[in-house]
Amino acid sequence: MLSVDDVTFSYVAGAPVLADIDFKVAAGEVVAIVGRNGAGKSTLLRLLNGLYQPETGAIIVAGNATSDTPVHVLARSIGTVFQAPEQQIFNPRVRDEIAFGPKQLGLTGAALEARVAEVLERIGLLAEADAHPLDIDQSARRMVAIGSVLAMQPPILLLDEAQRGLDKAAINRLSTIIETEKARGTAVILVCHDMDFVARQADRVLGLAGGRLAADLPTEAFFTDAELTASIGVEVPDVLALSAALGLPPALTPAAFAEAFMAREQA
Amino acid sequence: MALLEVHDLVFLFPRAKTAVLDGVSLSVERGERVAILAPNAGGKTTLARWLAGLLPDGVLKAERGHVSMDGKDWTEWHIAERSAAIQYVGQVPSQQMTGCAFTVFEEIAFGPCNLALPEAEIRARVDEAMTVCNLRHLVDRDPFTLSGGEQQRLSIAAALAMKPRVLVLDEPTSNLDPESRDDLLAQLELLPGELTIVVLEVALRPSLALADRFLLLDGGRIAADGSALDVLTHPRCIETLGMTAITEAAWRIQGAGGWESGRPLPLTLDDALQTLKVPDAVR
Ligand SMILES: Nc1ncnc2c1ncn2[C@@H]1O[C@H](COP(=O)(O)OP(=O)(O)OP(=O)(O)O)[C@@H](O)[C@H]1O
Ligand SMILES: Nc1ncnc2c1ncn2[C@@H]1O[C@H](COP(=O)(O)OP(=O)(O)OP(=O)(O)O)[C@@H](O)[C@H]1O
Ligand SMILES: [Mg+2]
Ligand SMILES: [Mg+2]
Repeated sequence: MLSVDDVTFSYVAGAPVLADIDFKVAAGEVVAIVGRNGAGKSTLLRLLNGLYQPETGAIIVAGNATSDTPVHVLARSIGTVFQAPEQQIFNPRVRDEIAFGPKQLGLTGAALEARVAEVLERIGLLAEADAHPLDIDQSARRMVAIGSVLAMQPPILLLDEAQRGLDKAAINRLSTIIETEKARGTAVILVCHDMDFVARQADRVLGLAGGRLAADLPTEAFFTDAELTASIGVEVPDVLALSAALGLPPALTPAAFAEAFMAREQA
Repeated sequence: MALLEVHDLVFLFPRAKTAVLDGVSLSVERGERVAILAPNAGGKTTLARWLAGLLPDGVLKAERGHVSMDGKDWTEWHIAERSAAIQYVGQVPSQQMTGCAFTVFEEIAFGPCNLALPEAEIRARVDEAMTVCNLRHLVDRDPFTLSGGEQQRLSIAAALAMKPRVLVLDEPTSNLDPESRDDLLAQLELLPGELTIVVLEVALRPSLALADRFLLLDGGRIAADGSALDVLTHPRCIETLGMTAITEAAWRIQGAGGWESGRPLPLTLDDALQTLKVPDAVR
């Protein structure tokens, strides 16, 4: 679905932010990108969606090389929720913001209305459909940005810190969106500082450090490599640390921890 | 007299049907480290702006109630006096930038320059703020090309350089990587004890590291005010904000009959290690 082949990129000549980046993402995979502030995570997303061009190497998105495909064409196969949703919201009503993308794809009339209604429901903003996107709270604005991308039904979805600051209901809503997309075969790439969320949602973790791809591992293998996680500057989920301290098998989620704990109590 | 006092504040946005703040009363003493928790759309940012004297603003005003610092209503403060006393750092770093600074240095110096401080004092303040927020390596960079986390640290540094008596921080670690988050929280702890800090949070874990008093804002009112344990195990807090991963694990074990009733639920990894009596050597 997505392949990144030996990519290097720099903002300032001679000081690459990313070097020799090489990975693939398959349809239906949920991949987390983690790393310190300034590691180049958002930069990498902007390379994937064609906003930036690699200095060397190539990126193929759903069969198209980003080097010779216009950004608006790429946008049909790769949708991005940016770190600051203000950068992508520009319509006077939440409803219009959601409708904007599918309209560009040629959707009209009842089909367009149905698409907008479905998305409003998924992002939990049916009641706010006629509000101005800047008159709602921050997290609702982020949901609008997510909705505007979902409405295009892209086969690849990029989420930059989309989970931050969400309350319980909103996190659950986002989890459902990710799981539904995965089930539909969408490749989901999430940049995320919240390791509890990564542990719950991701199949695989890519770790950026010092401009390189320092890790590309299944989620459990990644978090159980203490040296590796420390070198990338991420913490392991608290329940995993607790299971290690208690000599229990590694647990990535509270539910898995409780199960392992009870299994030992009952043994 | 409390340092900051919110008295029966009722506030609605124009055209809104329901009040965002529906009779909020609270007071904060000098040197307190307070976390105000609320779900999304719960009114955190709105309350923060009232606390910091940014509301009323000539257009938006309260239906009822008022907010004062040192016993003096915010409406009676001069803006220069107010901004030297209290600083609010909003939750969207890019919106916190002055827009007229070409470098990180200038961005941090902007506030102190406007207080017309001597140059040496300005330089000393910028220097200290850069240390606290780990920005030295970015001193000459354009604020608008920083990464999300770098920009968030800059927005906090700019507030610190004003040397306010009160800092109001709206989700201050939301863009920070785990290391930077812990660093920043530790650095804030090291600041003089008389500095009062109020954080507005959805995330439970970072607020536990910073605050020793917690308030739950629910339905426009203060529904709980107390210790971390009191507030984080309050049913409405669990319903709207969930539990920390550690609390949830213990709660699931309790549900399965594996956690003695009466034993308090742990909030943090350290709590859990202690209650489960894991020897230090294994930690
Ligand atoms: N236009 C630019 N000129 C110079 N450096 C830049 C520019 N844009 C970004 N950078 C730098 O490149 C590095 C990578 O930035 P990026 O935004 O990709 O980081 P990130 O991993 O997303 O970080 P965060 O977790 O803070 O969001 C950062 O150190 C940033 O300051
Ligand atoms: N400018 C505005 N005009 C109208 N309503 C607004 C405006 N700003 C905020 N609101 C509404 O007021 C309520 C409280 O918003 P506020 O931003 O204070 O919540 P919050 O707790 O900070 O949310 P979040 O967790 O998303 O940051 C929300 O319902 C929001 O939609
Ligand atoms: Mg980023
Ligand atoms: Mg807010």
